[in-house]
Amino acid sequence: MNRRSALKLLGGLAAALGGAAYVVFAPGETKERKARGLPSAAAGPSRQSPQAGLGAWVDEVVFREEADKAKAINMFEADEIQVYGLGISDPELYRRIQASRVIRYETSYGSSSELAFNPVGPTFPRTGELNPFHVPAIREAMNWLIDREYIVDEIYGGLAVPRYLPLTTAFPDYARLADVARRLELYYAPNPDKAKAVIGREMVKLGAKLVNGRWHYRDKPVRIIFIIRTEDLRREIGDYVSTLLESAGFTVDRQYKTAAESSPIWIGSNPADGRWHIYTGGWVSLAIDRDQADMFNAYYTPRGRPDPLWQAYTPSPRLDKIAEILDSRRYTTWAERNELMAEALKLSLQDSVRVWLADVVYIWPRRREVVLAADLAGGIAGSALWPYTIRYAEGGRRRVNFASPGMLTEPWNPIAGSNWIFDNIIIRATQDAAAFPDPFTGLFWPQRIKAAEVYVQKGLPCVRTHDWVALKFVPSIEVPRDAWIDWDAAAEKFVTVGQAHPRGLKARTRTVIHYADELWQTSWHDGSRLSFADFLFSLIVSFDRAKPQSAIFDESAVPLFKTFMSHFRGARVLRQNPLAVEIYSDQLFPDAETIAASRAGVFYSSVPWHELALGVMAEKNRELAFSASKADRLKVEWMSYIGGPSLAVLDRHLAAALREPVIPYAAAMAEHASRREARERYEKLQAWRRSRGHFWVSNGPFYLHAIYPVEKIVVVRKAPQFGDASGKWLRFVEPRIADVEVNGPRMVETGAAAEFEIKVTFGGRPYPSEDIEFVRFLVFDSRGELVDAADAGRAGDGLWQVKLGADQTARLGSGANRLEAVVTSKVVAVPSQKTFWFVTVDSGAKIQKAQRSVERVAPDEKGSRR
Amino acid sequence: MIFARVARYIVGRGISLFITVVIGVYLAILIANMGGYVDEIRKAQIREQVGSTMLADPKMRALPPGEVRRLMDQQIELEEKRLGLDRHFIWRSFGYLKDALTLSLGRAERLTSDTGSRQVRAILLERLPATLLLFGTADLIIFFTAIFAALSLSRRYGSFLDRAIVALAPTSAAPAWFYGIFLILIFASVLHVLPFGGMVDVPPPESRLAYAASVLRHLVLPVAAILVGSLFIGIYNWRTFFLIYASEDYVEVAKAKGLPSGAIERRYILRPTLPPIITSFAFTLISLWGGAIILETVFSWPGLGRLLFQAVGQFDTPVIIGSVVIYAYLLALTVFLLDILYALVDPRVKVGGETGASL
Repeated sequence: MNRRSALKLLGGLAAALGGAAYVVFAPGETKERKARGLPSAAAGPSRQSPQAGLGAWVDEVVFREEADKAKAINMFEADEIQVYGLGISDPELYRRIQASRVIRYETSYGSSSELAFNPVGPTFPRTGELNPFHVPAIREAMNWLIDREYIVDEIYGGLAVPRYLPLTTAFPDYARLADVARRLELYYAPNPDKAKAVIGREMVKLGAKLVNGRWHYRDKPVRIIFIIRTEDLRREIGDYVSTLLESAGFTVDRQYKTAAESSPIWIGSNPADGRWHIYTGGWVSLAIDRDQADMFNAYYTPRGRPDPLWQAYTPSPRLDKIAEILDSRRYTTWAERNELMAEALKLSLQDSVRVWLADVVYIWPRRREVVLAADLAGGIAGSALWPYTIRYAEGGRRRVNFASPGMLTEPWNPIAGSNWIFDNIIIRATQDAAAFPDPFTGLFWPQRIKAAEVYVQKGLPCVRTHDWVALKFVPSIEVPRDAWIDWDAAAEKFVTVGQAHPRGLKARTRTVIHYADELWQTSWHDGSRLSFADFLFSLIVSFDRAKPQSAIFDESAVPLFKTFMSHFRGARVLRQNPLAVEIYSDQLFPDAETIAASRAGVFYSSVPWHELALGVMAEKNRELAFSASKADRLKVEWMSYIGGPSLAVLDRHLAAALREPVIPYAAAMAEHASRREARERYEKLQAWRRSRGHFWVSNGPFYLHAIYPVEKIVVVRKAPQFGDASGKWLRFVEPRIADVEVNGPRMVETGAAAEFEIKVTFGGRPYPSEDIEFVRFLVFDSRGELVDAADAGRAGDGLWQVKLGADQTARLGSGANRLEAVVTSKVVAVPSQKTFWFVTVDSGAKIQKAQRSVERVAPDEKGSRR
Repeated sequence: MIFARVARYIVGRGISLFITVVIGVYLAILIANMGGYVDEIRKAQIREQVGSTMLADPKMRALPPGEVRRLMDQQIELEEKRLGLDRHFIWRSFGYLKDALTLSLGRAERLTSDTGSRQVRAILLERLPATLLLFGTADLIIFFTAIFAALSLSRRYGSFLDRAIVALAPTSAAPAWFYGIFLILIFASVLHVLPFGGMVDVPPPESRLAYAASVLRHLVLPVAAILVGSLFIGIYNWRTFFLIYASEDYVEVAKAKGLPSGAIERRYILRPTLPPIITSFAFTLISLWGGAIILETVFSWPGLGRLLFQAVGQFDTPVIIGSVVIYAYLLALTVFLLDILYALVDPRVKVGGETGASL
């Protein structure tokens, strides 16, 4: 089972139709949403463009391969390409893009760089050498030693954001905990003297001696083996940190290595062998992660991964406990969760088994006249909505040339085909989904769903944001006996809950999905009409592949299937037209929208059954295999629906199916697909194969028109049968990241009240107040101590006010203080922040001195879009 | 008698060349796998990839930690099994050798052909036409232009053209891809008269004629880059070579006899130099196998060079060995045929002669 199909399955479980009485809709909210032009359940992500028609905006998208980023920029200038599917983080290329008159760009924040430490020690058992980074205090001191602003400005050339915490600065949790984060960031601001003092103290405790400015242990210099990755700017980071370590008295052995060379050392070897001390790590996230509560467990405890390095982690008991609670979501309220998160953040910095350095900003170039939706984490390559939004802003042209560094890397098939990101850019254009993640917040929006009801067992943490989902907490959830819970591969029929669990079964969640009324009026690209049989067949195949009795059993599908089954508690079809299903599951996500979208995948398919059936027949005959793993085991070809030797095999099965219309899994399918319909479908597929040369049939806004495998060119064309309004997803083309400005008195007398104004805008206009999550301010005194933190009061359109009372300014004492404004939006995960310096003075006599102080600090004021 | 002697020579030569191929290919297997260390790299990569994929997936992370770890372990085990990493490298190395020598070439471990096949043969053959087209065109132009230009220059020693070629010869110090970058900048970026790269227009023309014309247009810059990078040094080398022969006594005698220059070239210069020319031509042909990594990358040309580069980067041993063994067989066969050809074109050479006989 590949990741796509796994994700389809990792949705949930089914069972009985449950009480509609439990459903809590929020009609008022629907009205409010509509009033401000936000998507609603009925309208979907609305806001039509005045010129909007139906389906894709352009007639054709032509994909070509171009791995050279610099050349791609030249091709933009020559208008040879209009979109590039690779993020750029090279400062030099960034400058070229900025200087160009014809290139614009999207930004994404899903990658980060860090330093990973080997915590074994104090000496390595194998070598007897000292490992200073065994000591948490020394690791913590690295935070003060490193200047992240330097890394961001000088190494990344501004294409990064300083990162101190396990939380990605562009993801919702950072915004939720912005005040905690800012406090910690200020506490761990660069302070080399403090760092060296801590390191010195701890090294002496370890028995090391400073001889001629170099740390020695047992008369030998303390050598730090630093594995520095060479493929990107981590090389420069490694050099910078090495220099800092040398300035702190260490002897650094800089070992420059590629990913392949470094993997066996940092993740493959036993850390006790002492083959390394520090590694320049990097992580990538292609989608906005709305819940990063599990980061502590994943990155600071041995439970995170089975690798030897993780097994060497020894977090403090408190961090270990909190990490486990957060990971297993054993909290009952969001307030409790956020308190635990705040504590975990602090403890993680004290542990610092990894020191986070920066969130790398990637630039995704496009021609000025082309617009499309990009994901804040995954950029254009990770965007689910690009096919629905790509267009020429001024109209006119109908073709877009889209370059990416690779394509057709692996065979395409609908079950376990290519999962390469660059192939998936194209595949996404051809396939429709039941729901899409918001590219700016990660929350799901419905595409083929009218509404969903999510029932969660009381006491479990879950929230609802959008009104297409109704959330209700119930005392307990009983799974109906006639719900399907498993598949009997020998008898080719579903197993019910009553058969599998005669004593009954309970679940933590129940989700009712009401699909769009017009679902069965839509067509596949080959002209066949979508039907329930398509969804059912896909579901059966997902089960059947994991059953040893099945002819299409694939052991590589088993692990993910078992995982799915560990939380799946049943599924039941409530109504076929319009389709309504219910899924029972023990799997819980903090957002009800994620639960609903995930469960909708159980009964959804972007592949028609008659197309999938050919592959099933070929695999049953052991001629082809869906997965690479099974293909290698059987020594047959990995199935491809778009080219190569697989096509001849699929042709043969299509011919056989036309002679005798075959419906695999007839016992389960017969009720939903007749032989006549099967024949019609196979005929349409044959016509498609003859005209297009491949078997890739789906239901997205584009169909696969032509493939030139060796030339590495793929052409997709607008699907005429795709009937959605073109403007349906247009509101996701531009992330509304707030601009923040703080105004107020530069000098305040201690003990006197003061007022500051926070102006929040987007595109020069006031930011809609209803889209603001909160505007929070933090006041730090001249020593960097947090004196006050609270929400600012709303004072008008795009205006918030901070009032400091006499007692508050009195607490500041004399000196330069700063007021930090943190703004988080409901429509975009990335928080905005602005710093405002002001001086508090004891009396008017000191005003001249204060004025000079203000002049000195004011130029350092910083604002950022995180 | 002569037949037996020739047969004995052919068999002996064939066996010795085959043994050389076996040794060469097995060495290539050992080198490509770093003596087995690649297994460690691949295991670590699998571990890293599986872990990262799972950690990056919020849905996966919604599972209990123990379950995620169990799942990761299973995935790692499956992938290691798929790549044969559950067997010691030494045993696998003999499998690689057998597949290579029998030219079955086996299955790729990571790469697939552009159309999606795992068969190494399909992977290599798919890229062969593009490589042959580009390097065949360029190398044949270079070879024949160099031979004939050099021959002509050898008779115009010291002329302006001769001095110009000598002056231009050092341009070959820079590789073809270096000139390729400049050519792209000039003709694609600035003048917009030729494409940036690739093999055909985007989207490709539907008629065959237009397609062929488009391919030719895309050939211009890479071929030009190769020509600039190799032609002058080629002419210079051959010119020097011919000059040596042109100053032989028997050539001077022929000139003194008043023989026409064409006849002198054919009979007294070309004929004795034919064996090295044939050798050079044969090696030019087999050097087409392999392509050129950087040049193909600069021009986004879908050739064997980039394929081999990908295979090396991904430690795909069967593809690397497939490419190596074909080159090894081609080389052995060429050497073998040249031995025979020498005997045909050069009367001084005898095949399988007794002591003191050549070759």
